[in-house]
Amino acid sequence: MNPIGAALGGAAAVGLLAAVVAVVVPQRVRAWAAGVGTAVCGAAGLTAGIYALSGTTFFLTLPALLPLSGVTITVDALGGVFLAVTGAVAVAAGVYGIGYARHGGDGRVVQAVFPLFVVAMLLVVCAASVGTFLVCWELMALFSLLLVVAEHKRRPEVAEAGRWYAVMTHLGMVAILAGLLVLAAHAAGDSFPALRDAGRHLPPAVAAVVFVVTLAGFGSKAGILPLHAWLPRAHPEAPSPVSALMSAAMVNLGVYGIVRVGFDLLGGGPRWWWVVVLALGAVSAVYGILQAAMSTDLKRLLGYSTTENMGLVLVGVGAAGMFASGGNRVLAGLALAAALLHVVNHSAFKTVLFLSAGSVLHGTGSRDLDALGGLRTSMPATTAAFGLGALAASALPPGTAFVSEWLLLQALIHGLPASGTITAIAMPLAVAAVALTAGLAVATFVKAFGVGFLARPRSDAAENAQESPASMLIGMGIAGAACVGLALLPGLVLPAIGSVAGRVVDSSSPMLADAVTVQLVGVAGSLSPLMLTIALVVAIMLVIGVVRAVAARRARRAARLWDCGAGPMSARMEYTATSFAEPLQRVFDNVLQPETDVDVTHTRESSYLVEAVQYRRQVPDRIERRLYRPVLALVAVWGSIGRRLASGSVHRYLGYGFYTVCGLLILLVVTR
Amino acid sequence: MQIRHVDAGSCNGCEVEIGSAFGPVYDAERYGARLVASPRHADALLVTGPVTRNMLEPLRRTYDAVPGPKVVVAVGDCARNCGVFAGAYGVAGAVRDVIPVDVEVAGCPPRPEAITEALRKLTGR
Repeated sequence: MNPIGAALGGAAAVGLLAAVVAVVVPQRVRAWAAGVGTAVCGAAGLTAGIYALSGTTFFLTLPALLPLSGVTITVDALGGVFLAVTGAVAVAAGVYGIGYARHGGDGRVVQAVFPLFVVAMLLVVCAASVGTFLVCWELMALFSLLLVVAEHKRRPEVAEAGRWYAVMTHLGMVAILAGLLVLAAHAAGDSFPALRDAGRHLPPAVAAVVFVVTLAGFGSKAGILPLHAWLPRAHPEAPSPVSALMSAAMVNLGVYGIVRVGFDLLGGGPRWWWVVVLALGAVSAVYGILQAAMSTDLKRLLGYSTTENMGLVLVGVGAAGMFASGGNRVLAGLALAAALLHVVNHSAFKTVLFLSAGSVLHGTGSRDLDALGGLRTSMPATTAAFGLGALAASALPPGTAFVSEWLLLQALIHGLPASGTITAIAMPLAVAAVALTAGLAVATFVKAFGVGFLARPRSDAAENAQESPASMLIGMGIAGAACVGLALLPGLVLPAIGSVAGRVVDSSSPMLADAVTVQLVGVAGSLSPLMLTIALVVAIMLVIGVVRAVAARRARRAARLWDCGAGPMSARMEYTATSFAEPLQRVFDNVLQPETDVDVTHTRESSYLVEAVQYRRQVPDRIERRLYRPVLALVAVWGSIGRRLASGSVHRYLGYGFYTVCGLLILLVVTR
Repeated sequence: MQIRHVDAGSCNGCEVEIGSAFGPVYDAERYGARLVASPRHADALLVTGPVTRNMLEPLRRTYDAVPGPKVVVAVGDCARNCGVFAGAYGVAGAVRDVIPVDVEVAGCPPRPEAITEALRKLTGR
């Protein structure tokens, strides 16, 4: 039997079984059932993905399972990348979920939906017909929605986040549905091979409509501007293992959709499609990391960072499309490989970050960076995990993101000699955007780690923090190990990813990689992260050794910390997340447009004497203010006009029904 | 010579004269004496006023915070022997009762010339 089929069947069976068991068994063991089920499900998905990457393919048609269209499943190498990533994230999140459920959220529905969400995500990348794809996509959206609103009874913000997510994910679904249906209408059937045949011979206008509409749908799932508004709301409010699954696995499927439709089904397309993708990606990356740098909510910060990283991935995808349409297949393969590697890397470090943020929430009850601090002593394992994730996210060696962003920059820089005015303008701007993003990411994660985990506790909750249970630490450990592995030995995954990227753009693999060194093909460039790390460690050791040796020669005098001569310094004197980000906020004042509000209350006796001063400052999401508020206001106006129709009179309602039937009959008479 | 000024309980008369010594007329800085903002940056302390009970501990800590080798200059009669505040309820003692003093400048307040002269002894210019 085909190993992929066995693994996928096992994943689906285990997921369904875990869901049933989680509903049936008592509360005590419910989290165990769901967590182990999810982890096994993820492991099966990972296995299937690895087999798919190694060249095995799998076809399955179940005509009777779904009425009208049936279920068609195909696993190829491109799907294999996303299968493996989703599976690996689910393993870590599942193990972590066992301990996290004690924090709350061990309700019957939530625990049952958890493994089902993973199964739905695994099936999305296996779907090989429009019907199957849309059903799996919708299942994924619904299951994730149920998980997002898990804590809605305890916190009212969750319900609001859930509403945003529900509306935006379904609008995205409508866009994807419309786009794929237009494509299917020009094809012989709704299976992907039929669409692939039709996609090459579509009229350009129809192909453009299909691409732009599906790009909007998939982009909203990936958290790309300006459709990102749900992401920084839903990710913080969801339980942390769910945040990890959504941020590290689900948003990737938006990228999968863009690559699948753009490259595979439509066969590339003209250059302007990919210029749009590149521009959206670059803007999302810079805007996302800028908002993350301003956030004081730990999980909101990570949510915006997801927008940033998906933006970087789309820069790679867009560059790949531009190169491919210009005929430069080798560079296209390199850019797409960089994008796919960044998907993998982002999943690894975002899992660690969200899981450790959840551990902080579990241990302190707070995710407000301004109220945290000093967790290093009380939660050492969580601090280590978050530090590892922050380093990996910072695009500095020896971090994980460094390798993929290096590859991306290589592709963009070598794209400069490629012909065309648009390329000559777009590539330097993209390089600048990637560089700015990388710099801001360092500032953001220094803030998150330094303010949140080092220094002194800023609140009682942070002072009395408790380290999380073992299962949560194991979950973080699995993801952390993946981060370290990907950072030091990217050669283990790069050949597979390179050959996938090469196949998607009809070229050979853009890189050669042994265990230590990555060598680019077609352009000059090689990188050895392991050697780089060793050199870095040796250099640091050397500097420390020299400083120690010099210092040992002179007598040292221990003096207390200078605190201006007044008593011990309190936690209120520390840098907060807000104050740390303030210089950056000043620099980007015109983009961010922070809102400050000062209320001065005077005493009753005299307006010259001040009784109280209230200062409020917030950095709102400007796109949300400018774009969404007017639309929402318009919808509200429309709704209130529509309400006039519903006056409460039964006679009127009966009249509506009567006139509607009459109108329909007249319409039928006229048209027939 | 980097100098950190500490007001241990002065009436601010000496501060006015120190300000004058570093002003455009006397300009002690041209002799290599500079006022700095932290004892961590300083080579010398310039202490004014009798040491009040509130400033006793901060003065000791400031002295500890200055990296060695270090010099202490007591400016004004109050810093030397508590001056008119001697025996007052809030006064802990003269500067030399709290930290070792190297140079003393007499006067209530001392003239800027006297302060500049004392600083020139330290800087050797």
